[in-house]
Amino acid sequence: MNAFSLGVQIMKERLTAGRMMVIWPLFAIIILFSTWGLTDENASVSTGYDIESAYDVMFLSTAFVIWSCTLGAVLVSFDGISRDRTSGVLEVKLSQPMERKKLAFSILFGHWGAIFLPFFVLQCISLAIMWFRIDEIPTLSNLFLFFLSSALLLMWWTVIQLLASSWANDIGLSISLGLGAWITFTLLWLIPTTLIAGLSGVGVDDLNSSEYVELAAIVDLFSPNGVYGHLLEMSLDDVDRGMSPLYISIAAILWSIIPIHLFTRRIERLQP
Amino acid sequence: METILTLSEVSWRHKVRDFSSWKPWAKRDGAGIYSINMEIKPGTILGLIGPNGAGKTTLMRAICGLYDCDGFNKSCETRRIEIGYMPEQVRWEGRITVSQALKSIAMMRNETINVEDLVQTVGLASKSDQMLDNLSQGMRQRLSLACALFGNPKLLVMDEPLNGLDPLAQRAFSNLLKNLAKKGVAIVISSHQVADLESLVDEIALLHQGQLLIEGSLTIVRKKLDLKEDSGIVEMICSATGIDPEEISLELSRDNMLPFKHIGGEEE
Repeated sequence: MNAFSLGVQIMKERLTAGRMMVIWPLFAIIILFSTWGLTDENASVSTGYDIESAYDVMFLSTAFVIWSCTLGAVLVSFDGISRDRTSGVLEVKLSQPMERKKLAFSILFGHWGAIFLPFFVLQCISLAIMWFRIDEIPTLSNLFLFFLSSALLLMWWTVIQLLASSWANDIGLSISLGLGAWITFTLLWLIPTTLIAGLSGVGVDDLNSSEYVELAAIVDLFSPNGVYGHLLEMSLDDVDRGMSPLYISIAAILWSIIPIHLFTRRIERLQP
Repeated sequence: METILTLSEVSWRHKVRDFSSWKPWAKRDGAGIYSINMEIKPGTILGLIGPNGAGKTTLMRAICGLYDCDGFNKSCETRRIEIGYMPEQVRWEGRITVSQALKSIAMMRNETINVEDLVQTVGLASKSDQMLDNLSQGMRQRLSLACALFGNPKLLVMDEPLNGLDPLAQRAFSNLLKNLAKKGVAIVISSHQVADLESLVDEIALLHQGQLLIEGSLTIVRKKLDLKEDSGIVEMICSATGIDPEEISLELSRDNMLPFKHIGGEEE
């Protein structure tokens, strides 16, 4: 119970931090405006994907979610541990008798909550926009899948950044590690994908070829954003990249277990 | 007399980056503490003294269970319950109030703590609703002291607690420590403000290059070092480390200028 209460306390602290003055408007613009735009009757996307239902709107808006919310998770958590280490507060915290596993849970829950809450509130508003604009909202099962996948994505990014923050001796190194990971998985992921395709004899001149799409689907299992995309595609009938839901589920479980285990172990061994 | 904590052959080496290796993650053993033997008794104020880099903070952190090293008669977990720790110069910051910060730390202990009483004790009652960002260093020190006093600790470990406090607060602080000692709380304190320390401590432990050179009451230490009865802590440090008091200069703070009395462990 104490671990949960402490997590809520950390969440409150993070939600009142100055950086939220940037994150809230950024999220509001990206989430609400993308929903508004994608619910327009004349809206079309360059990939040729047809927008036929409310879930299609939600699915397409995740392209913006991946950009903004994962960056938001990095911005919320980059000093999650390194700031306390620099200021000496970490020494006070580590000298308390609370079990380190519980402390790790509190830190993770607090930081994850501070980024999930704005996301959740704005997504609820975007549902109201959908209702207003196209008189339709996604089904409950689709909503559950969307929020669960998004919660997982934000948790993965929060753990990645908190791990970086615990490894780094200063805040500069912490944010460099976090942004480095973010740029790799969000902007540069095409490079390892095409590299692997080239090495395995799959043609890279046509990125829409079935061979390349299937290989990209496999490589995506090694990226948190890729697994997020796979999870959301599970509810779409007209999207099939040849990936079994079993593999997607295993990847999601591994992406949850391994970083959390590493983070807990790191907190258990952490020294001021 | 029953002891609160016994240290036998406690050693700890910091892991530092090994720049001689091509591997960025390569570490080597750095400075630390070597074979420390000590008994901490209830109601005693023990002053840890020694030059910069002597290992005072490392020893304090080891006592508080921040380093997982052997040689204690109590486990890390037990020590964290029984010991209140006040680190050196904690810079409390953030957009939360003093009482919220205290509640956060209180949640890390399985005890119900009356935060209002605690802020009263450390003289923070008028600041309990202030944001941490707006606190002066003296007030931050008081907040650290409040955290150390959580859960009525049997042993208080304080690293340079007098830094940043005004003279009145220093006197009040000393009085508080004496009162706690009278109630049976053992106190381990390090301070470079030796005049205050001399009037406060019952015993001293002199550390140098990670080793405990001498320990005991001021009278015993003076006797062991063949010093006059009115000699102070500076003379004790000089005598134990082999520095000529007439030649004290900042140059002497360089490690290579200080004699190293090799007792055990790998020499740097």
